[in-house]
Amino acid sequence: MMPLEVEHLRTAYGPVVVNRDVSLTVHQHEIVTILGPNGAGKSTLLRAISGLLRPRNGVIRFDGKKVTGRPAAQMAALGVVMVPEGRHIFPDLTVQENLRLGAYCRKDRDAVEEDIRLMESYFHVLATKRGAKGSNLSGGQQQMLAIARGLMARPRILLLDEPSLGLSPLLIKDVRAVIMDVRAKFSAAVLLVEQNAGLALAVADRGYLLQHGDIVASGVIAELRDNRLMHELYLGHGRSGKASIRGNQ
Amino acid sequence: MEIFIQQLVNSLSVASVTILIGIGITLIFGLAGIVNFAHGEFLMVGGMITWFLVTSGLNFFAALLGAMILVGALGFIAERGLFRFTLERPMNGFIMSIGMSVILQHVVIRIFNEVQKTIPDPIGKVWVIGGVDIIAMRGVVVALTAVVVAITYFGISRSRYGMALRASIADQDTAALMGIPVRRYVTGVFVYGSVLAGLGGALMIALFPITPFTGSVVIIRGFAVSLIGGLGNVGGAVGGGLLLGLVDGLSAGYGFPEWTDAYSLVVMIAILIVRPQGLFGGTLGPRST
Ligand SMILES: Nc1ncnc2c1ncn2[C@@H]1O[C@H](COP(=O)(O)OP(=O)(O)OP(=O)(O)O)[C@@H](O)[C@H]1O
Ligand SMILES: [Mg+2]
Repeated sequence: MMPLEVEHLRTAYGPVVVNRDVSLTVHQHEIVTILGPNGAGKSTLLRAISGLLRPRNGVIRFDGKKVTGRPAAQMAALGVVMVPEGRHIFPDLTVQENLRLGAYCRKDRDAVEEDIRLMESYFHVLATKRGAKGSNLSGGQQQMLAIARGLMARPRILLLDEPSLGLSPLLIKDVRAVIMDVRAKFSAAVLLVEQNAGLALAVADRGYLLQHGDIVASGVIAELRDNRLMHELYLGHGRSGKASIRGNQ
Repeated sequence: MEIFIQQLVNSLSVASVTILIGIGITLIFGLAGIVNFAHGEFLMVGGMITWFLVTSGLNFFAALLGAMILVGALGFIAERGLFRFTLERPMNGFIMSIGMSVILQHVVIRIFNEVQKTIPDPIGKVWVIGGVDIIAMRGVVVALTAVVVAITYFGISRSRYGMALRASIADQDTAALMGIPVRRYVTGVFVYGSVLAGLGGALMIALFPITPFTGSVVIIRGFAVSLIGGLGNVGGAVGGGLLLGLVDGLSAGYGFPEWTDAYSLVVMIAILIVRPQGLFGGTLGPRST
């Protein structure tokens, strides 16, 4: 069973093409990462999958069903839920209201209340800040809330866009534990976008390396870790490496 | 003192109409970024429908319901048929709405004429409260508006839909990621605002004569109210409406009545310069990721 299949996806903002031809799959219970430098087109790819951005071309399938171009609200209802880059907590809503909104598309109201308790037991800070406005949380707290809010939808696949951004090393460790638990406790697949290769390589089963909008390497993590491009991009043979990759395209 | 209380009730009843239109403007702008200049004409059309139904022999309160429903339908058609296509370009929507307001005026002139319309006072009673004479219809206008304000306020602050609406106003894309059908909320808010404009028109013609050009006067006051209160902020629109209503009423009672509109607009300009976000804080229009 393949929850998510992306084939030959092309995205653009107006005339500016970002992803030219991207194909990827995420299997059930899998944690898959998309790595890549600044501006590689990782967020754009996730926005297209989550329905925020209509792809120019290509096919997105979920559970074997074609879902290309469906609006984000419908994708969320199907179980494809994105936690956007930069958290985007609703600043004037309380922590509880943020969580409750995460479950907007669910019909089982009683289970939603239970899930709020579950999130609070899981992310303790959410229990202590229950009535606080979203804007009164620290960056790390907001990130925890953003992930919890995503989980409130009971997603089949959770799309995480740079959850470690701006967090301290200690909090990054927490995020790492949470991602592992998403699979274990919520039996959801995860598609994780990261610039922090350390975190991504530690949690993911497989990965794709994105550069200038397209996939330049992919494989199981052990292979990807040893990939030459990975080394050039992340272990800093900086400029010469980038030049040679451009030459390859 | 007696005159003061009468002035107060009069100002409140005028403020009511302004508040009803201000709530619609503030919600529609807050969620959809649509500055609907034709909102004043929606009110005028509501008044004209009421006039037509009442002169055809219908009871005023039935006519009022009819005006709310028909103007709500007008709002639905305008949103689905026109404004939906300019959501990405709010300035186009604004210009379009100016065009629409002129068209609506002319349609009304075509169907009826440009002569001002009045209906007899629907209640035709005077209440004596604490020795002060108060025209009953004015009291009813204030009471009905208070009920609408309360329903709107609690709907937005307490209900699940209100919470989703506030989230959509704050951040459309993220709201959509939660599964909130933002476009449907835009339609809903547009229709709700239009229904309130229909109500405002019905209440207005119960107090004053209406002409096909009444809308353009009302819309300025509606914008003033929603800007003073902070766009997107319903409580602010109510506060702004009360403030303007009182400035109007008291200036009419104690100053120069012919300057009434100028006073309220001076208040608006002063507040916008000193507090650009409005007195109670609002949004800058829809935001996305
Ligand atoms: N709304 C937009 N309009 C036009 N261009 C955009 C828009 N958003 C992103 N871009 C451009 O698309 C390209 C890819 O951006 P994207 O945000 O997808 O990269 P990213 O891999 O997520 O980067 P980062 O690691 O910095 O988050 C960049 O060149 C960016 O400038
Ligand atoms: Mg990004």
